[in-house]
Amino acid sequence: MKLLLVEDNERVTRFVMKGLQEAGHTVDNADNGREGMFLAASEPYDVIIMDRMLPGQIDGLSIIETLRKSGNRTPILILSALSDVDERIKGLRSGGDDYLTKPFAFGELLARLDALSRRSQGSGTQTALEVGDLRIDLLSRKAVRGERGIALQPREFKLLEYLMRHAGQVVTRTMLLENVWDYHFDPQTNVVDVHISKLRQKIDADFERPLLRTVRNAGYMLSADE
Amino acid sequence: MSKVIRSTTFALSFGYIAFGIVALVLFAAPLWYAWQVTIEDGRQEILRADTVRLTDVFHREGAPGLKTFIDTRVGMQLPAERILLLADSSLHRIAGNLTRWPDTVPEKPGIYTVSLDLSGVPTASVVVRTALPGGYNLLVGRDVAKFADLQRHFWTGLGGAVAVLSIVGVLGGVLIRQAILARINSIRQTVLAIVQGDLSHRLPTRSSGDELDTLSHTINGMLDQIEQLIHGIRDVSNSIAHDLRTPLAELRSRLEELSLTRPGTEETFAEIEAAVADVDRVIRIFNALLRLAEIDTGTRRSGFVQVNADELAAEVVEFYSPAAELKNVTLSFASGGPVLVSGDPTLLAQAVGNLIDNAIKYVGEGGTVSVDVRTRSDGGVEICVADDGPGIPDDEKPKAAQRFYRGDTSRGTPGVGLGLSLVQAVAKLHGGSLELADNHPGLRARVALEPGALLSGRPRSATVEAQGAAAAVKEPSAMAL
Repeated sequence: MKLLLVEDNERVTRFVMKGLQEAGHTVDNADNGREGMFLAASEPYDVIIMDRMLPGQIDGLSIIETLRKSGNRTPILILSALSDVDERIKGLRSGGDDYLTKPFAFGELLARLDALSRRSQGSGTQTALEVGDLRIDLLSRKAVRGERGIALQPREFKLLEYLMRHAGQVVTRTMLLENVWDYHFDPQTNVVDVHISKLRQKIDADFERPLLRTVRNAGYMLSADE
Repeated sequence: MSKVIRSTTFALSFGYIAFGIVALVLFAAPLWYAWQVTIEDGRQEILRADTVRLTDVFHREGAPGLKTFIDTRVGMQLPAERILLLADSSLHRIAGNLTRWPDTVPEKPGIYTVSLDLSGVPTASVVVRTALPGGYNLLVGRDVAKFADLQRHFWTGLGGAVAVLSIVGVLGGVLIRQAILARINSIRQTVLAIVQGDLSHRLPTRSSGDELDTLSHTINGMLDQIEQLIHGIRDVSNSIAHDLRTPLAELRSRLEELSLTRPGTEETFAEIEAAVADVDRVIRIFNALLRLAEIDTGTRRSGFVQVNADELAAEVVEFYSPAAELKNVTLSFASGGPVLVSGDPTLLAQAVGNLIDNAIKYVGEGGTVSVDVRTRSDGGVEICVADDGPGIPDDEKPKAAQRFYRGDTSRGTPGVGLGLSLVQAVAKLHGGSLELADNHPGLRARVALEPGALLSGRPRSATVEAQGAAAAVKEPSAMAL
């Protein structure tokens, strides 16, 4: 992926750029609002990572609003130290696609970037999803692995659907909380892990090749590859 | 002594006194005028009639006849009551009760008020001078000295009234001033003590319910709020210092040890990962505190929407049910049907989640946690989370919702001690409260949302649309999970 990081903090920039480059991405960096605005408007990027508070007269949200007004649809992940729910809402309303609060784990950032780039490719109006021999029908809400039907509760189906839409990508616990349950808070205990292990029981227990894997220090990944 | 108070009370009482005097004078002046006019008119009427009668006698019987008439009259009447004098053209006395024609009477006929020498004493009198044919002069008059007495009495009375008014006014002013000053002074003393830092003082109040009392009650209410806030801040700072010091100390020693010992790669990575976990713990505490602060400021109220508390609680129960299953805890949900409240769905869900999470944590293997949502008869909404675990001892219940408070039973369990504080803050934000009661055995945590909080409903905002859309419709009847 070709990414743009608009961030003025040197340490954060070095940490993020190094990580993203190691993950195989190309990253451009702008350390002020004006340069960020210029790069975002002139170069094609897969995802833009935008800090909210920037030097150079123009802040992150203004850049996003300007880009959106000029018809630029590049997915934007907002990076901010402002963690209030209201700030988050403001960020998303300005045209951002996702909001990550500092400090953050690199795995979280990477997973969210992957999800954003996937979203922009557009899944269209699919009626079925397939990962390996696991298949779900979005209309009849039925799941089948191999020849066998799998009975899922509505929320389990939603969880599986999200994992399948992001097959091959790391999905973090926070992403699952936000997207499957729409909970924007810390549930204190590892409830998401318990849901995952229940789902794993249903889709993987009796099969030779597990599809749902735990990615250490990051989250989970549903994938047919070994 | 406050100059303002002094001048205020005095200005006030003097103002009242001046006002009273002006009112008194305004009342007395017309009275005085009417009295004067009536008496004057009546007196002149009598004198004129007398003059006419005497003139008639003169016309009928001539000067000698009138002299006889006057002599008779003077002999009958009391001295000086009436003045009668007949004089010839050169003003020599012919008859009457004056020894000589007075110089003070002007030459022209008419009515005059003059000073007459009556039996050696100059006396104010009203006289009518008439010119009779033949150059004779007639003087008919009346001594008004005794009316002057009456007049004097009137003025003395008025002056006395003014004096009494002034004295009573000044006395009243002083008394009122002292009474008010005493109370204001006690308020001042209290406020001074508070300014010095002792927030436990309260203004003295009575049951009189007067203005000063109402003011004192209001100020006391404000002080209660301030004291609570200050204590809250103090507690939080203490708790933060305590709770953050532990992971920070661990983190520090871990990193220092790493830089001192320089162990092998594997071990270094393990230590770094542990350090990151330490930092994450600190971040979690910070996030929880920030969220509490955010709730406490009350700004979240602007984002209130219509929330179905029953559906919201059912979803949270469903979310936590696998965690309960894992611990072999029975988690059940009961509701009396849809319950609409005006609120913040994220915060309400987090609050209910915290209660359920706590309950599952403490109830132990094989326990029971039951959640129920119902509408009270007064329109308020209650969300109850009850368990049959160890509960909280009565003396610890009031402390349980304090920030960073962790009961003895919770020492070994994960958590930062902010769960119940958050529930309480959320309940308060929604105009309600968190009550911790005994469930015999176990704990019964009840979030009461006041009916008043339901009135300010606003249309569902864009940010929570997903909440409703994502929710599958639940059966309103009890369901076991």
